[in-house]
Parts: sequence; structure tokens; C-alpha cells
Amino acid sequence: MTISQTRNVGLPLMKLVRWKGVPILQQLHLEEQLLRTSSENWCIINDGTNDPTIVMGISGKPAQLLKLDSVLNDRIPVIRRYTGGGTVVVDCGTVFVTFICNKDAVPGLQPYPQPIMSWSSLLYALVFRGFGDFSLRENDYVFGNHKFGGNAQSITKNRWIHHTSFLWDYEARNMAYLKLPARAPEYRVARDHLEFICRMKDYMPRSVFVDRTIKAVETHFSVRPVELEAMETNLNSKFPHSTKLLTEQELEAAAFESHFEKALSHSL
Amino acid sequence: MMSRGIWQQKCRNAIRRWLRSCAAQTSPLSPSPVVSLGNSSYIGFSSQPIVSRYAMASFSMVNDKLMDLNIPYSIKRSCFSSHALLDLPASGIVSIPLAQTGEGIAECELLKWFVKEGDQVEEFQPLCEVQSDKATIEITSRYKGTVSQIIYVPGDIVKVGETLLKMVVEESQGSNLTSNAPDDMKSMGAEVCDSSIQSSDLRNSNTGGVLATPAVRNLAKQYGVDINHILGTGQDGRVLKEDVLTHAVQKGLCKEPSSLSVNSVEHFQGEEKYSHTLAADGWQYEDKTVPIRGFQRAMIKSMTLAAKIPHFHYVEEINCDALVKLKASFQEENRDPEVKHTFLPFMIKTLSMALSKYPLLNSCFNEELQEITVKGSHNIGIAMATPHGLVVPNIKRVQSLSILEITKELAQLQQLALANNLCPEDISGGTITLSNIGAIGGKFGSPLLNPPEVSIIAIGRLQKVPQFVDDENMYPASIMTVNIGADHRVLDGATVARFCNEWKLYIEKPEQLMLHMK
Repeated sequence: MTISQTRNVGLPLMKLVRWKGVPILQQLHLEEQLLRTSSENWCIINDGTNDPTIVMGISGKPAQLLKLDSVLNDRIPVIRRYTGGGTVVVDCGTVFVTFICNKDAVPGLQPYPQPIMSWSSLLYALVFRGFGDFSLRENDYVFGNHKFGGNAQSITKNRWIHHTSFLWDYEARNMAYLKLPARAPEYRVARDHLEFICRMKDYMPRSVFVDRTIKAVETHFSVRPVELEAMETNLNSKFPHSTKLLTEQELEAAAFESHFEKALSHSL
Repeated sequence: MMSRGIWQQKCRNAIRRWLRSCAAQTSPLSPSPVVSLGNSSYIGFSSQPIVSRYAMASFSMVNDKLMDLNIPYSIKRSCFSSHALLDLPASGIVSIPLAQTGEGIAECELLKWFVKEGDQVEEFQPLCEVQSDKATIEITSRYKGTVSQIIYVPGDIVKVGETLLKMVVEESQGSNLTSNAPDDMKSMGAEVCDSSIQSSDLRNSNTGGVLATPAVRNLAKQYGVDINHILGTGQDGRVLKEDVLTHAVQKGLCKEPSSLSVNSVEHFQGEEKYSHTLAADGWQYEDKTVPIRGFQRAMIKSMTLAAKIPHFHYVEEINCDALVKLKASFQEENRDPEVKHTFLPFMIKTLSMALSKYPLLNSCFNEELQEITVKGSHNIGIAMATPHGLVVPNIKRVQSLSILEITKELAQLQQLALANNLCPEDISGGTITLSNIGAIGGKFGSPLLNPPEVSIIAIGRLQKVPQFVDDENMYPASIMTVNIGADHRVLDGATVARFCNEWKLYIEKPEQLMLHMK
């Protein structure tokens, strides 16, 4: 048997969920539940979410990261997710790809942030070959020096999750809800949002991206698609999700605090 | 070669015996394998006490951080642990520090505790969750015990090395430290960090075999080879994945060429450590030791194999006047700004045409089986000099590609090579190699084969030289010298000469290509 045949036979199983337009809160809830309660490997692809939503990392502070007045005015939902990382604005132009794996699913891969990040970039290098100057730049996926994909992870005792939001397209006005974070990758320093991001649609068709991603996953895993309905019945509805939709009251309180602090600093 | 590994093992054992004797005499060092040195030392992470303790063993510690290679996918050396490591005296309260969770990360935010003071904790039970950059990470307990004091609260920023909590640990665990080390510790210890080699050394010396990670041992098992019989090319004689693959190829256990290992494959296995050659430090008189890494290591292996092959070389001059005109006309008609026409794609295509007539030059020789495999695909490798070393990615199935397609594929491979983004598929499966050394300079080279291929072609620089025509008038001609290196066990001079004549014909008279087009 040739090596390639041997490798196909020995590939670990990965279940694939393909969605389109599923709300990001539902996706995050599913992800966390699978991470913590399943013992299988999963890949979730959500081709666009429904409404524009702001998604912060687990320790994100709205007052520091968001222009709260605009957010509250325009009633944009704000979610704090269960993984680390930064803040994104997602909508129907965002494509999400998530990997949830057992720590020994990828032979030789150490279940720590950098190795997982590097492994993911190898996988996406296959996806984007011939379509652009793709690379991993300080935890972002870039074409050249323009970001089009942001990453976040969560690593538990025996499993890890790595999820990415890809900017296939975006609305400039939505980016305006975000402040520039205090800690930013070096290549983004002194650059406005619209200066350091780019649209994936300028590089490849959407369906091609999804298909190539699945193909790239198949080089590491034996992929089995599963239907959402079947999935939902298996989920434990009592699972305590960490991902939370922030209430209007919480956002207003944060905005008030921020104004108050600013006023205080000016008065000194 | 085996004896080198054994000798090194003996040295390490001697060093340990010496250290233990020191420990017996001096108070700071405990007799147990783990040093009780307060908050700042733990297995698998660099700290001053460990540096001084193992100075004799010449470990280069993680304190001298690996230089950023500016390569997107390369591994960065680091010590990892999701276990809160601890220093362990025989019994009593111990401080459990936040261990390194990723290179370059100096601090983490504590997100939440899973335990509280007074809780009984089992080995590997999650203690808390921290966040570093993009990741939330569960920190698990190395030992069984009782939480006596929580130092930080959620929201606090904890520096790596600071005590997270204190635990009362049961006495009996001290002696079980090394033998019950979990898989995490093994994989953490083995791969990347020099300072963690100590723990993997202990484990490897316990098994009495060569140094190798569990992943590499599994691979050897998969191929049914005894890992103790494999020559390790890693540090301290460590057996690496490529060593297993090379051994398996030589044994005929696998057909996949393993001559070139790939940074991108090996780096997340953590078996390789890469570093740049040190930059000139201004002192011109000092010797510098350059560690062998990555592509260079692969080149050493490949060329060592190549040196065993009986080569012969065939040299020819090719008039490229027609090729120069052709390239100019391609560029004139070119409307795509992304495409830049060069000589090489045409040479690659004509090479493939010649190979169709002389397929023996597109074959592989298996010495053990004494078998020649004539390859069906023309996977033409192009040698590329990159800042990271010599690499030979190949264009697959050239016989089915047009010159334009070859141009695009070549440009892409060049970009990937420069960025060190080539994947294993790009650099394996090659059937013949073209080395355009003329792009740098030189009349022609004398290339060494790229095993298991049987021929290689070095192309010299295009030079304008005077040529005579029939009526004895001179004219300037663009002449390129080529040198075909061939395996004389498979090819003879006549075959190579005829092949070269065919190739030369296509280059000097490109219209002949049309005659043979399908």
C-alpha cells in the first residue's frame, strides 16, 4: 500500500456541519457545547450570519473596544464569546470556519496556541494557493499585509477549538463601531481599520473558498457531513453556555461608566 | 553511528551522577530529580537555577529566545505546559506557578477558578482558566492534593512564573514524578525546548533506547522498523521523522521520497529547532559555528546520498536566439500584468517533450530492489535558492500543461519558496530536476543528482558569443551551456546525448513544438 493510501485509511474522523446564515450566537453556543461535551472532532462552516453583530473575546470590555454610543443608537447586538482574542463585527459577508479537535487528533500537534495557529495556517495555505499572497501574520490571516481573517482559540484539558471569522465582504460603516484595540499586532500599528483589512471576495469566489477549505480538511481528516437537525436533538439544552449576549442595560452601564471616567479625568 | 548515540547517553548519565553527587553535598539542591528552588523553577522552563544546575550538560536554555525567523509558519521554540508545574519537596505546602503557555507570552489574564480553598484536587483536574492573546487555556493540576491558598482572582494579570495557588501535596507523589509523567509532559518535554530535554532524556534513558518523540516512535512502528536501528540526525542523536522516512525508503517500505524535509510539516511536530546563521558581529577574525537546520539539513542528506551514485556529465551548448525572440513576442502579446514571461517555462515544456521520447531520463532507481521505475508524470523540479536554503519544488504533470500554465505555476512556487510556504506536496514526487544556476551566474555547473531521480540538468547563463555560419561569417548568438548529470547505473552516454539533441532541437527551433503538439 502506498503511503497516501495508508494515510487515508488512518485519518481520524471529523464531522462537518455546513450552515448558511445561522445566527452567530447559536453557532458559538453549539461550538462551546461540542468542545466541552463531545469527544469527536468537528468542523463547522457557517457561510454568513444573519444580522450584523459585534463579537468580543472572553475578557472584552465594551467601553474599551466599542464606540458604545453608536452601538446603542443603532441597536447592534454585542456578544461576549467563550474564546480569547479580539473583537469583530460579523454579518452576512462573514464566513466562519471552526475546528474542534481532540488534542491527539492531529499527530504530533501540541495542543497550545502557537502550534495550533501554525497548523491552521498550513491548512489555509492549501486553500489559498494561487489566489493571493496568503500568510499568518501575528495571529491574523493576511493577504500581503491586509487582514481578512481573525482567529481565536480555547484549549481545554483534552481538546481545543480554533475558530476563524473570514471577511469575505464587509460594510465600512460596521467597522466604525469598533475602536482600535490597545494591544494590536505590529503590522497594524498606526493603521485605521479600513487600512489594514481587505475583502476576501477580491481574491476568490465564496463557494470556491468553502469547497477548498473542505478539501484541505480532508488532507488531515476523514470528513463526514452531518445534518443540523440531527445535531440539534443531541445537544443538551441545559448546558451552561459562557457565550453571552450583552443586554442593553449592560451596554448602557458601560457607556455611562466610560463617560463618567472621561469627565472625571477632564476635571482633574 | 549507533555508538555515538550510546556515547552521548553515557555522557548524560555521567553528568547526572555528577549532579546527584553535588546535590548530596550542597544544600540548595534536593536529591529528587526536581529541584525545590522556590517559585521560579520548574521542569521544562528556563530559569536561572536550572541553567546553573545543568550548565555542565551544555543545554542552551530558552532564556536566549529563538530569533524570530520572520517565517509565517515556522516553529518558534518554546516550552509549553497546560499543567501548573510545581517544585516538590517530600511533602507539605507547595507553590504552583503559572507555567509558560506559549512562546513570547509573558503574562496571562486569569479568567476563572474551577477550585476554591479547601478543595480536594485530583491529578490532571482543571484548576483555572487563563487567557493569553487569542486563546483561553485550562490549567490542570499535576498532582493530587488540597488547595490551601488562592493567590489571584479573576481579572488579575499573572506573569508567567508567578505563583497561582498553593497546594498541600501528598508525600508519595514525589517519588512518582518521572515515572507517572502524563502524555502532556512527554510531548511537552520532548519537542522543542532545550530545557525540557532533561525530562524526555529521563524517559528515553529509562526505556534504554534512542531519543525520539512519541509521534516519531509511532511512525517507526507504523513502518515496522526498529527505531533503535535508525540513525538520528537531530540534536544529541535524536531520531526525527525524516530519519524514519529515509530509513523506510531505503528499506523499500515506502515509495514516498523523503529526501527533502519540510519546515512546515516538522515545525508543529516540534522535532526541529531552527535558527538563522548568526549575523556578522563585526569581529572578522572569530570562527562561527553554524547549526545545521531545515533545508540545509535536507541538502546534506540528499547530497550524501547523491555522492554514492556514479554520475556522469554531458555538456552541450544550445543556441537560444529563437528562444529570445519567442520570449519577447510572448511578452509583447501579454495582457495579464500578473504574468511575466521568462525563458524557464519554455525550457521546462520542451524538456517534457524530450522526456516523452526518452522516458528513461524521467525515472527512479531503487538500489535495494535493483529496479528502475519509469515515471508516468513529468514532475519537473526547479531548484531554487531561497534565504532559507536550497529547495526543489516541482511542477506536476508538465506534459499536460501549457507554457502559460507552467509560467503561472512556476511564479507561484517561487513566491511560496521565498516565503518558506511550500507544502510537502510541492517538494515531493519530483522526477527530474532543472537547476537554473545561470540565473545567478556561471557558464555551467556540474550538478549532483537529486535522489531517487536519475538525471539533473544545470543551465548556465545565456551569453552572447560570436558564432560562425556556413559562409564563415560571424554573428552574435545567445548561447547557453547545459550540463546534464546522469546516473550511470541507469543511463548511458548515448541515451543522454540523444535526449539532449532532442531538447536542443525544440529550443533552437521552437516551431518543431507545433509539429508534435497534440
